[in-house]
Amino acid sequence: MAAADLRGAGRRREPGRLLLIAVALTFLGLFLVLPLLTVFVQALSKGLHVYAAAIADPIAWAAVKLTLTVAAIAVPFNLVFGVAAAWAIAKFEFRGKSALITLIDLPFAVSPVIAGLIFILLFGAHGWFGGFLRLHHIRVVFAVPGIVLATIFITFPFIARELIPVMQAQGKDDEETALSLGATGWQTFWRVTLPNIRWGLLYGVLLCNARAMGEFGAVSVVSGHVRGLTNTMPLHVEILYNEYNYAAAFAVASLLAMLALLTLAGKSILEWRQPELRHTVPQLRDRTRRVIT
Amino acid sequence: MSIALRGITKQFGEFAAVKNIDLDVPTGALIALLGPSGCGKTTLLRIIAGLETPDEGQVLFNGRDATLWPIRARKVGFVFQHYALFRHMSVFENVAFGLKVKPRRERPAAAEIRKKVQSLLALVQLDWAGDRYPAQLSGGQRQRVALARALAVDPDVLLLDEPFGALDSQVRHELRRWLRRLHDELHFTSVFVTHDQQEAIEVADTIVVLNRGHIEQSGVPSEVYDVPTSAFVHRFLGEVNELPVQWRDGRRYLGPIDISPAAASGADSSKQIALIRPHEIEIGPVAGGWPATITAVRVIGPIVRLDLCAEGQPANEPMEAEISRERYASERFMAGQTVGLRFRRWQLYPAGGAAA
Repeated sequence: MAAADLRGAGRRREPGRLLLIAVALTFLGLFLVLPLLTVFVQALSKGLHVYAAAIADPIAWAAVKLTLTVAAIAVPFNLVFGVAAAWAIAKFEFRGKSALITLIDLPFAVSPVIAGLIFILLFGAHGWFGGFLRLHHIRVVFAVPGIVLATIFITFPFIARELIPVMQAQGKDDEETALSLGATGWQTFWRVTLPNIRWGLLYGVLLCNARAMGEFGAVSVVSGHVRGLTNTMPLHVEILYNEYNYAAAFAVASLLAMLALLTLAGKSILEWRQPELRHTVPQLRDRTRRVIT
Repeated sequence: MSIALRGITKQFGEFAAVKNIDLDVPTGALIALLGPSGCGKTTLLRIIAGLETPDEGQVLFNGRDATLWPIRARKVGFVFQHYALFRHMSVFENVAFGLKVKPRRERPAAAEIRKKVQSLLALVQLDWAGDRYPAQLSGGQRQRVALARALAVDPDVLLLDEPFGALDSQVRHELRRWLRRLHDELHFTSVFVTHDQQEAIEVADTIVVLNRGHIEQSGVPSEVYDVPTSAFVHRFLGEVNELPVQWRDGRRYLGPIDISPAAASGADSSKQIALIRPHEIEIGPVAGGWPATITAVRVIGPIVRLDLCAEGQPANEPMEAEISRERYASERFMAGQTVGLRFRRWQLYPAGGAAA
């Protein structure tokens, strides 16, 4: 109703509509398209062979591998945690629920640098668990485990935050129906709950993944910047940049940007391949979109 | 299967949803739990289904204590007001769900599932819709799919939570009659929750009227409608006019009309009100009646409703009377006309107590 009214009003007042679209497009161009283009233009500014060399560099490859490894650990971990937390918050009443919701937001509220320092304080040589770790020859800080921990901490809220409103809006009726039809809790989750939340979940995973690959601050504090060992892609970009190696820095940055574009493309393809989204009335499609955005 | 509730109590925080409820649902009965919102009717239904656990009391299925049985073990079909169809599954898959999640030993073969789902879809007159998705169906069709899905697992009990509440009145009327027919054909035990007295009267064998967590009255629809045992039930099951009973010289009056019983019942000084349904008001000549002015006339299909302002009554609280269309055609009552009221029937309740 409201949307139809707005559309009607827009048609009657053309200038207002055009102005709004112009403002939105200008903004989009300035703040999204232009920077993205710059990355690629700068990356190729010294020619294709410099670009290829920067990417083929074994140290760059080590950074790519480390970034993908960290994301491959952090995202599944937060996937499980996010679904569990959202499920608990949306479907059950329990003491301490609002405290849990606040805690989930903590990584958003805390500066990433402080998040990194927390792990130094906990696992560093003089940290709480430092002695214990040294005794057992386990390296956490300035090593891969520290990077993984910091990334998990930073990306903690994405999936849970995305799912809580979706699950709350859907209520418990579907699950209760499935149980009354004889399904086990496990069957109910896989066959009813998961399909219902998949778009929110997918979007949460994409956000979580983007941040896991792109995180700089917290990872920078715990990584120790050991080239070829504990440098992730964003850290590698910074090092190259600080060495005035702009073309190489932007070449690696363009890789990172392409990873992001690939995940977005993957999401679009998945969305397009959903049969019930293509065949059904616009209402459902709208609702699904709303869930996603 | 017969269901019995014994001393069921359920609190939500400070709020007592149901208090010490006893209820018997014999095998094959179709019972309506009727009451305003917040009266505890849905909580009671969910306790029978196993979706809530009572704080106190027992749920008996065929005489066996089922209070702590999990939902899956109860063999109840549950139908929600908003259908709760699985929107990512086609209509066919929705109905087949209960069969497909059975453990492998009990699960029927694919061909058998197909046959059963087709016959259920035929039963709910949706055999053409198997490949559709819920979003492509109307509200009434969705609720029929939900019913077919619940029936697929051969439940002993069918529980319906305001099943027709979200539908428009024509579809609702159709589905009520259809549910009644289905129940008569298939002989399952059903309990349904509604706040619509018309629906309860039309569909159920027995009506249980709930108010603030306890049972006000239960019985066959005509009995509950004609002989309400409390002012609450009287008000809830249809339109009523309320008049204060006046005491003069040890006799009871409604306006100028003496309503004292033939045998004087002694001086009862407690305050009373009389509840009178619109069709129990008789309109006649002014002489010998309670003079009243007609303030509005509305023709509603087969009946005509008159607003009447009786002498000595506040003008902003008119009484409502109903007469037949035929009567209206012969007498032509008009707004502004003065007539005399008489009462065919009334029922007295203590004033103040048990307000709705």
